[in-house]
Amino acid sequence: MSRLGVIAVVGAAIFAIAAPFFLKPFGIYLISMWTVLTVAAIGLNLTLGYAGQVSMAQGAFIGIGAYTVALLTQAGWPYPVAFVCAGSLCFVIGWGLGYPALRVQHHYLAFVTLAFSTLVFLVLRNEEWLTHGVYGISGIARPTLFGWSTGKPRDFYFFSLGTLTVLAAATWWMLRSPWGRAFVALRENPLRAQSLGLDTRRYTLMAFAIGSGLGGLSGALYAPLVQFIEPNSFVLDLSFNLLLMVIVGGSGYFFGPFVGALIAVLLPEWARITEGYYLMVYAAMIMGMMAFCPYGVLGMVERAIKAVTMRGDPPTPILHAEGTSP
Amino acid sequence: MTAVLEVSNLRKSFGGITAVDGVSFKVRDGEILGIIGPNGSGKSTLFNCVLGQLTPNQGEVRVDGKTTTGMRPCDLNRLGVSRTFQLLQVFPQLSVRDNLIMAGQEHQGSMYSRLIGSPDAGLSDAAERMIEFFRLSHLADEQVGLLSYGQQKLLDAAMAFMAGPRLVLLDEPAGGVNLTMLVHLRERLQAYHAEHNATFVVIEHQMEFVMALCTRVLVLAEGRLIAEGTPQDIRRNPVVIEAYLGH
Repeated sequence: MSRLGVIAVVGAAIFAIAAPFFLKPFGIYLISMWTVLTVAAIGLNLTLGYAGQVSMAQGAFIGIGAYTVALLTQAGWPYPVAFVCAGSLCFVIGWGLGYPALRVQHHYLAFVTLAFSTLVFLVLRNEEWLTHGVYGISGIARPTLFGWSTGKPRDFYFFSLGTLTVLAAATWWMLRSPWGRAFVALRENPLRAQSLGLDTRRYTLMAFAIGSGLGGLSGALYAPLVQFIEPNSFVLDLSFNLLLMVIVGGSGYFFGPFVGALIAVLLPEWARITEGYYLMVYAAMIMGMMAFCPYGVLGMVERAIKAVTMRGDPPTPILHAEGTSP
Repeated sequence: MTAVLEVSNLRKSFGGITAVDGVSFKVRDGEILGIIGPNGSGKSTLFNCVLGQLTPNQGEVRVDGKTTTGMRPCDLNRLGVSRTFQLLQVFPQLSVRDNLIMAGQEHQGSMYSRLIGSPDAGLSDAAERMIEFFRLSHLADEQVGLLSYGQQKLLDAAMAFMAGPRLVLLDEPAGGVNLTMLVHLRERLQAYHAEHNATFVVIEHQMEFVMALCTRVLVLAEGRLIAEGTPQDIRRNPVVIEAYLGH
């Protein structure tokens, strides 16, 4: 990482730690939601941005993770165990969902994952004996860890920020390892990758499984944050929103999901000053952003830095596989 | 001399068209075998059947005596069989160095040990040597998508050697490469062969390239093997002149 990058990360970390001391409860709720959705967006960025496998099911994995934690904690299981179960269950289901990716790609794969997302919604809504159907599950408790209660908004924010930090560090480690290079090779040229000994089948399944597992862990944070879940929270809108976060932040950039989730969580709230028009304003802002920086915010920043350092010689518009260089 | 690659009675059809029709040949240890033939003679289909990209309808492929017919390309590569493609196949968003490390990393330990291993899979020195050997040092950290076609083609060939393969199959390595780069590529392949006694199979249209590089040449026409011999024999063979050279 460049010196400028280190300064930016340290500055963002200081801001993230200091922010809740200057915000009201709703503001803290919003930045907590940012941490939760960033975890899911990191997972989708791994599946889509690095490994090149389109998934429209990340919202469904948040749902599976959230319901797993809600049901298990209300059955008396300790939160850390429920948290691990949520991630593991989504890892296994994600591995299974990866099998269609071995046969179909691009928009065909998008439709397969979209169908899975709809299937999960139907199960959450119709299997009342398990999920309580449209009535949802309320009163989900926030965890107490080693005597530290995360019941208050600020405490829960720091808990979810810490979890985000640990999961992001683990993902960064993985992407810095030969696995990261293998995922990029899988995205860029699976034919050549296979001829170089890369087991494209196993890496494809792994990309789906890890990405889905992170979706499940995001759901495990989501449930105690909102404390009430119901099937409509995990419909396709959420998967589209997560896709938006990855694309707007910069697909294939490690910090893309952080930026994308920040924009997707905060921009609609800022647009509320336009009252009834806020969704239209939000949509116009997103369209404008994608028109001017199709490679995402971080892609635009990288291109701007390159343009300055290359003194007007514009860089080729290609994605950057950050985190894969040794 | 032992046969590194043995192809027996290989046949591949696409509907009513037979692209490869009962081809048999052996590749001996340390030789550079050229396969030539007019467009549509079945050279690339033959390569793809040997390398697991296509499943043959009939016949057998053996590498070092082990049957590999229908084996997945990644498993075949781990047995020591490497290849290049007719069309350029690199990873354009990675650097030259990362392309080379990628070309060798799947041979280093297991998939799970690589997760906790060093980011370069212990291949930085080997990549550096390959970069120097192919005289790409000034481009080592450049993004491959920004290089010229000839430079990418050179890297494409270098990647095939990164894992120290037992057998390398080069599919039109000279295709689309300018004369200077062509001489450089041929000279590097000859130097690698001299240093490592490597075994190559080369499909190529560029006759001078094949005649200067290969020790033995096979000629395919309409999916069948019509001639075999030294480059000098092939030049004089009337069947080959009739079927392919035409002049």
